[in-house]
Amino acid sequence: MTAQIIVVTSGKGGVGKTTTSASLATGLAMAGKKVAVIDFDVGLRNLDLIMGCERRVVYDFVNVVHGEATLKQALIKDKRHETLFVLAASQTRDKDALTQEGVEKVLDGLSEDGFDYVVCDSPAGIEKGAHLAMYFADQAVVVVNPEVSSVRDSDRILGLLASKTRRAERGDGAITQHLLLTRYNPTRVAAGEMLSVKDVEEILGLSVIGVIPESENVLAASNAGVPVILDDNAIAGQAYGDTVARILGEERPLRFTDVVKKGFFQRVFGS
Amino acid sequence: MNAKMDTSDACDLRFGQVGIACVRVRRADAAALCDELERRVRSAPQLFSRAAVVLDLSHLMDLPDDGTVDALLEAVRSAGMLPVGLAYGTSETEALATRMGLPLIAKFRAAYEPEHGNVAAPAATGPTRPAPVREPVHAPAPAGPALGAQYHEGTVRSGQQVYARDRDLIVTGAIANGAEVIADGNIHVYGSLRGRAMAGAQGDEKVRIYVSDFRAELVAIAGHYRVFEQIPKDLEGQSVQCWLDGEKLMIARL
Repeated sequence: MTAQIIVVTSGKGGVGKTTTSASLATGLAMAGKKVAVIDFDVGLRNLDLIMGCERRVVYDFVNVVHGEATLKQALIKDKRHETLFVLAASQTRDKDALTQEGVEKVLDGLSEDGFDYVVCDSPAGIEKGAHLAMYFADQAVVVVNPEVSSVRDSDRILGLLASKTRRAERGDGAITQHLLLTRYNPTRVAAGEMLSVKDVEEILGLSVIGVIPESENVLAASNAGVPVILDDNAIAGQAYGDTVARILGEERPLRFTDVVKKGFFQRVFGS
Repeated sequence: MNAKMDTSDACDLRFGQVGIACVRVRRADAAALCDELERRVRSAPQLFSRAAVVLDLSHLMDLPDDGTVDALLEAVRSAGMLPVGLAYGTSETEALATRMGLPLIAKFRAAYEPEHGNVAAPAATGPTRPAPVREPVHAPAPAGPALGAQYHEGTVRSGQQVYARDRDLIVTGAIANGAEVIADGNIHVYGSLRGRAMAGAQGDEKVRIYVSDFRAELVAIAGHYRVFEQIPKDLEGQSVQCWLDGEKLMIARL
């Protein structure tokens, strides 16, 4: 039984990759899976902050890759979920500290330790760090914002996923691509300021696995070090919950994609 | 050790190691290559005059077309050296060597594929612009008799390039902004064309481009091209065909 490796990627920065990685990993753990989430953004580590474990980082991903620490030493157990572990990035090294062989060794190690899922939080860009994050993936969550430059970059990433991964190189069948639309604001879509779900699906030729509405709770949750999926009152958290269920094979209708009436807004945010 | 002269076999086949000079081509510029080599031959005629050399094209961004390679080989010859084969390279170099009737001398042969592909269309016939580094999606089919069409199923993503050498290209998905499809023959797109399409890359002016949802950045036939900063309203999202009327690139709804 090998671990399913899911890369969370986008090409563009600031679209919500790390937020998505944290919520996806947490959601999978809540579904009873044994999950490791790895920060590939060496030099700009953030995932530990969003996961709320930044003060418990002793050894990091680069240490393990270089054989300076064992996986067991570097994996940080989540304080809320027994089966969730974080592998932080190094803040003091640069991206060249990662090697393909080293990453493979870590992923194989996690597989041997009985992990069901490994979530790889990719850095922005299409350089080495992003390449290594996607190379071994079985599934990809491509995070896209409803605006043209993000859609363009995602298109490029989708092309790379189809050609520059181990599965593609070995001809092991295509990597499963999930499109996740984040920071979606139905009101601004209605006003023509943002692309709609339909526009994005049409341009990229893929249907979305989830739509995460733009929400103030996301920022608040990030600052508090709590993945937003744990915030039951936040619609973004509920949307992440739906998304994780869909990745696990459940069928759920899209929510929060239409403009809501004032009254409903008040009911959600009121108390 | 020596084969006896009176055995009935007509020859002996044995392997030996010989040192051989390798001309690593950095620019596909035959005249410059000839000048450079001539200088080398003059400086050390004992060493280089009539020396057997292999031509290494692996350092060029794109594998040159057959005509250019012919010119390069001729340049080596006129400089006073004797080209005996091609070195290294990919499966495309191998196909090229076969067409040229030259051996491919390499340790690795096609085992070595470079990071970036060699499938860009011949630069002379496309619109002139710096060639971006792109990832090829399909290796071009080895040249031979024209063999119908090359099919591409699904979307061509931004940054990808598909080239159908010596044949038509049929794409059943969309071509994204920043993606490029090129064919020596006609191009048919059964999806949105948001990127670039260039037909007749080898200069055939009779070819056409057919698109079922027109939103192109650029279309070109045999080097005559039109860019669309703004897509004409009467063409946007329509089924169109493009053809050449003399020098003029025509586009009309189907």
